[in-house]
Amino acid sequence: MTGIELAAWSFPVLLGLIFIRVPIGLAMALCGLVGAYLIYGTHMPILNQLKQITFSTFSNYSLSVIPLFLLMGQFAALGGLSQALFKAAEAWIGHRKGGVAMAAVGACAGFGAICGSSLATAATMGQVALPELKRAGYSGALSTACLAAGGTLGILIPPSVVLVIYAILTEQNIAKLFLAAFVPGILAAIGYAIVIAIYVRVKPDSAGSMAPMPMKERWKATAKVWPVMVIFLAVVGGIYTGLFTPTEGAAVGAFGTGLSAWLSGGLNRRTLRDAILGTAMATGMIFMIVLGAGLYNTFLALSQLPQEMAQLVVGSGLSPWMVLAIVLGVYLLLGCVMDSLSMILLTIPIFFPMIMGLDFGMTPEETAIWFGILVLIVVEVGLITPPVGMNLFVINSMARDIPISHTFRGVMPFVASDLVRTIILAAFPAITLFVLRL
Amino acid sequence: MGLVFRCAKWSAILGGLVLCALMVMIVSSVAGRAMIGLGLGPVPGDFELVEAGTAIAVFFFLPWCYLRGGHATVDLFYMHLPKAVQWFVVTLSDLLMLALWLVLTWRLWDGLLEKREYMETTFILQMPVWWAYALCMVGAVIGCLAYVAKTLIQFKLASWPEGWPTEAAGGH
Repeated sequence: MTGIELAAWSFPVLLGLIFIRVPIGLAMALCGLVGAYLIYGTHMPILNQLKQITFSTFSNYSLSVIPLFLLMGQFAALGGLSQALFKAAEAWIGHRKGGVAMAAVGACAGFGAICGSSLATAATMGQVALPELKRAGYSGALSTACLAAGGTLGILIPPSVVLVIYAILTEQNIAKLFLAAFVPGILAAIGYAIVIAIYVRVKPDSAGSMAPMPMKERWKATAKVWPVMVIFLAVVGGIYTGLFTPTEGAAVGAFGTGLSAWLSGGLNRRTLRDAILGTAMATGMIFMIVLGAGLYNTFLALSQLPQEMAQLVVGSGLSPWMVLAIVLGVYLLLGCVMDSLSMILLTIPIFFPMIMGLDFGMTPEETAIWFGILVLIVVEVGLITPPVGMNLFVINSMARDIPISHTFRGVMPFVASDLVRTIILAAFPAITLFVLRL
Repeated sequence: MGLVFRCAKWSAILGGLVLCALMVMIVSSVAGRAMIGLGLGPVPGDFELVEAGTAIAVFFFLPWCYLRGGHATVDLFYMHLPKAVQWFVVTLSDLLMLALWLVLTWRLWDGLLEKREYMETTFILQMPVWWAYALCMVGAVIGCLAYVAKTLIQFKLASWPEGWPTEAAGGH
């Protein structure tokens, strides 16, 4: 068998293993090792590579940003920051129709600015906002759905672990990707607010009402969110201006959120232990996939399949926009069953050269950044699509009295908003790229 | 059995403390660099420390991650499989994980010997690279023990320690 044939056969085998529930990182590592062995025809070169590859993967400086961002998110959840964000947003818009739910989305966006993970954002804001939504008379379906959707802002708004992985895989500038993600992230929050506004008008009994707060109270609540502002500006601003590397930014952010948690009394021995164990779990999971993907991609590169595929697609005469639509469609489908990082690590080595070979009328760097943001959005949709959208289950596990089917139904308008936004951002790359052109 | 599980948990906590130490080191390095005018400066070799430290932390995290069922999986189809097939899949995963990790640990050991033989050092601190390999080796061996323990449990040759939570995390 030629390398290309081997690589083509490895896909069904790999997907088969993954779909019966072999851990994704493990399945990729095995397929990569066996595939490389078959291409070389001997085990010596592989055994030689393995002497270094595990250590060099885990000690890659660019990847060291990931555990630090995860730690930052864990610390952020301990401080009173989530509460302060929600109270501030509620003070300003809580009295509007559907305002408390909008405030929850707004607070998620704010929390997303200091946390790079969707699950952590959903879980943290869920704890704060679910009881308040219930007290304000919001229906279970709307409450859980708006928080599950709001949780995805954790990763859409920088810093974002998924973008870091994309940047490393495609050798793009992390700072530029973070900056480009900012406007689409804000658009996502606005889109969700519009969904809520329509939802409460179609189903008026799904939301209660609240008296407006006096101006003085509003400013007082707003003043309490200053640590979030400071940390966000220091981290993202510092990375963007080149004052420090992404890893240093993440360390500064983790230190800032840790300090804020400690000052507010949220950081003690027990919570520190839990924060560490949470970081350990998420880091272990990510690095296992990164290791597996590294081994699998080495095999793919040996087989030359990615280059051949890219040439095939470029030579096929399909319109670039058609190819883009198919690629994004594949992500939406995969997202229904798989988590976002695994999807990106599995598919970017194939899809990225394909997209870069096509002409979208932009410079290669712009195409790479724009495609990255689009991928980020479509893989995040997977977090809120039934049947396995993780955010839905995270939120639902906190609101035991709400049947999961209600959450499933409630989230559909939010998924629709995500799809509309994807189409708009795909059709008008300038929305994503204009901040970079300033 | 309990010992292996406690070991995995403590190694994860230890790895986390390494990470916290890195965080403090990086923050002082950044602060020192900002105050270069005051005669301060960045921590020498900070990049090298971050690289070695992250690798050590990750090796120490992995056993805990596996024992707690923390690795990313696709659960949708598994949920609808018959019990016997589910048992087969979990056993297969456990055996494959164990096999992969034994090979990787063995190769890491050979890598360590090679680094020591050639006396390879880091660029700035002149720290022997095999030191970092040796610390990672500790985590890798705990990993082997953890995966053996998990496989034994799967074959009913041992049982879960009391009060050990196994939840499927995953996803991002």
